[in-house]
Amino acid sequence: MTTVPDFRPSGDSARIALIAAAVAAAGMLLFPLASLGRGGTDADAVLLHLSGRVLNLSSYQQAPLPPTGIILGLGWATLALLVATVVGALRRAPWLWITALLAFVLAGVAVLRLDSTLNEQVSRVMADTTLRAGAKRQLRNFYAGGGMNLGLFLPLLGGLIAAGAGLDARAWWHERYNRLRGLLVPVSAITLAIAVGAVVVLVVQPAVNLSGKPLGLTGGWLAKSDLVYFVYSSLFAPITSLNPLLDSLKLATPLIFTGLSVAFAFRTGLFNIGGPGQLTMGAVGAMLAGVYGPHWLGWGLLPLSIIAAGAFGALWGAIPGLLKARFGSSEVINTIMLNYIASAVFIFLIGTDTFPFLGRTYHLGLKAEGFEARSELLQPGARLPTMLQLLNVGSGGQTAISIGLLVAVVAFFVARALLKTRRTLLALVAAVVLGALTWRIGIPVNIAGSQLNASFLIALVCVVFFGTLMWRTATGYALRAVGLSPKAAEYGGISVARGTVLAMTIAGMFAGLAGLHYVNGGALDEYRLKGNMPVNVGFDGIAVALMGQNTPAGVVVSSLLFGTVDTGGLEVSRQLENVNRDIVTVLKALIVLFIAAGGFLSRRLIDPPPPQLLAAGAGGPPPGAQLTPEQAAHERATPSPNVGQASEDITREGGR
Amino acid sequence: MEGLFAQLLTTAFLATFIRSVVPLLLTALGGLFSERSGVVNIALDGLIIFGALAGAVSAKILEPSLGALAPWFGWLAGMIVGGLIAWIHAVLSIKYRADQVISGTAINLLASGVPAVILTALYQTSTESPKLNQGLPLWGVGELRFSPPVYFAFLVVALTWYVLYRTPYGLRLRATGEQPGAAASMGINVRRMRYSAVILSGVLAGTAGVFLSIGNLDSYVRNISAGGGFIALAALIFGQWKPLGVLGATVLFGFLQALSIALGGTDLLPPTLVSALPYLITILALILTGRSRAPKALGRPYDG
Repeated sequence: MTTVPDFRPSGDSARIALIAAAVAAAGMLLFPLASLGRGGTDADAVLLHLSGRVLNLSSYQQAPLPPTGIILGLGWATLALLVATVVGALRRAPWLWITALLAFVLAGVAVLRLDSTLNEQVSRVMADTTLRAGAKRQLRNFYAGGGMNLGLFLPLLGGLIAAGAGLDARAWWHERYNRLRGLLVPVSAITLAIAVGAVVVLVVQPAVNLSGKPLGLTGGWLAKSDLVYFVYSSLFAPITSLNPLLDSLKLATPLIFTGLSVAFAFRTGLFNIGGPGQLTMGAVGAMLAGVYGPHWLGWGLLPLSIIAAGAFGALWGAIPGLLKARFGSSEVINTIMLNYIASAVFIFLIGTDTFPFLGRTYHLGLKAEGFEARSELLQPGARLPTMLQLLNVGSGGQTAISIGLLVAVVAFFVARALLKTRRTLLALVAAVVLGALTWRIGIPVNIAGSQLNASFLIALVCVVFFGTLMWRTATGYALRAVGLSPKAAEYGGISVARGTVLAMTIAGMFAGLAGLHYVNGGALDEYRLKGNMPVNVGFDGIAVALMGQNTPAGVVVSSLLFGTVDTGGLEVSRQLENVNRDIVTVLKALIVLFIAAGGFLSRRLIDPPPPQLLAAGAGGPPPGAQLTPEQAAHERATPSPNVGQASEDITREGGR
Repeated sequence: MEGLFAQLLTTAFLATFIRSVVPLLLTALGGLFSERSGVVNIALDGLIIFGALAGAVSAKILEPSLGALAPWFGWLAGMIVGGLIAWIHAVLSIKYRADQVISGTAINLLASGVPAVILTALYQTSTESPKLNQGLPLWGVGELRFSPPVYFAFLVVALTWYVLYRTPYGLRLRATGEQPGAAASMGINVRRMRYSAVILSGVLAGTAGVFLSIGNLDSYVRNISAGGGFIALAALIFGQWKPLGVLGATVLFGFLQALSIALGGTDLLPPTLVSALPYLITILALILTGRSRAPKALGRPYDG
């Protein structure tokens, strides 16, 4: 078999490059290039279009505008390069990636140039006292809020994608891409969800004109598209500064637990929609242990509480597992029913102090005094410390974050990659030693208090537990076998019924441990069980697991992403009139919807037939024949089970 | 005890009972069409919510111009929107061969977010739509006065039975759900049958939603379905995918719901726990029926 003779990109990569470059080029013409300054709310911005037109929607009508000539020039050059890329993609020319990469670089230079121009403007305004006189808000804040807009963001992104697609022609890149093929569906789903969400924002949020001048057709369009960019940049903004970042980690923590829960069940061919119920019962268990555990246990109350949360959740997960294994009733319906039952039990326990039973009134006494539905406060020993308490090594009221934890994690992975024998054990030792040595070294930070608590660490422990159990033990092998094909597993001597019960129990345990975050971690602003616990996090776990491809690392990454947009959603709610955080809920639902549809990508792209097969059929090597059998095997190393199919089979066999 | 029985024998209880049965019955019959064609429809709860929202919002918008006719157009809108959303489920599970449970879950997740976005855009509140001046008319005598969807629901039972067992469409539908390959070889367009059945399920679940929002209340409120779609799904399984079985199961579940409302006022049992009773009974019912009588091709994408 010969290798591909020339460096022509394949049809697929040419198509991807074509779409990316065309969208980016159209975006440059349709959307504003940059916002030269932005106020606090709604469409309070000054927009720059590629045509050189400046649209001032802001309340600062007299704001001195920065020079934009260089940015416009760079913009036009970028557009020309993108057009060249489109032509290249149509002709499938080998210089495809060069033009695209140049477009990316030029757009990047334009962004940098824009930022420095705005910074100059800020320092000028700072120096010129007359410009600030009488202004309610500071003019310098106005410039600090400016930056690139869709018109520069799209060429950055499109150029990168097109360049990447062009480079696919080189064997080295092609191999790298093949390993990442699993990311295609989630990424495509996110992109589509963002596009649909953008349309929703376009329709829902009117473009307001703060300056009072009427907006024409173009002006209205530019203002609206700027709003879309504003919404999304706010949604993803929490990554950029420390306090919101900690908030998003806080929101991500319960998602990691529920995501692991759903993913674990998925791997065994089960669909766990019972996250909310298991989480609720876990929180109830944590509360019972933390409030009513023997006080002489002291710090021992915390482990007791953790065990109680896990056990209650595990029990609530085990019920549908048992019912499925024994009676073949669908775990989908049963987990949903158990959600409602758990919610009733929850309200019963902390909603009222007394209850009637057969004509008499009994005292329950789990509810704390007062109108609100909440339990008593947890004993101090049962409370999880916050991450700031754990990591702060500053003295005298100063906050300094210890770098020990980070060093330990880095050391672990580096040592694991370098070592040949006993990798995990030695790497662990290295991590502990280096972490302990560097613990006293801290980075001083300016930080407000955060309720990010040690349940985040417990979540990470669960991630490791998931990975180890599923891919390093015989039990995990059996569970995955049941998920991929119950019949074959049964034939191989694996008990499907046992796997079903075990998987649901562990899934329930994961979801139950999420209760720790709310009760012991004080994420509800108090160290107690409260009626306003956001149980829907259990459903969000489905989206997290699907986007994370049911792998532990994927669950962590998608939890962090969802935590970020959840935090950003609060900011959007605060700033805009007609768009609120519910848009985030819609985005998550859309992501699930698009992942269900395989990202609307062709099967050829997601799951191409092995090149050897193609070669045999076509009588010659196809594009992309560099894939060796080992790599093809690697690609399919962890296929996701066909959940609906597998559960049907288990049901039909009666689980035995 | 006697107090409770006396309470159960009143016409007021009977009215509550029938009002509890109707949404379950309409939704479960919708689910029956979909599942008989071989498509799992776990999206029913979301379809109810979309139908309820569409009914309430469009009736409110049309009210100034159409007056008393507006709720009827609201009903129509609820049916259309229910059908459209079900069509999304159909496209995903038939054309894109998605896992039908995941696709249905996606619709349910959408139903937890989209209404809030629409209500915020229209009325700056995310929890309820403004009240209608008048909902659908009430027909009947004395305390037993119901809006038209109630009568429609019982009519649909008879219609479903007739369509399923006495028309060519019903025969094809059953064949599609049992042996799609065999059905296709007899010249039946399996995909088209499935599309029509899933869309029909959306239309019926949408009607159930319309009953809740403008036939029973006079506005859409958050969480209006209260999990009714899932209970309807359980009733469908309990009723073994047959129209009369579904009628029996929904009557039982509706009775339990009405009973939990009636028990709420007594000192017999804690009301919060009684409200969980229908869900508990559903689990028990599932244990009893299992999935032994499910259409054979249920949940399997068709390749032909």
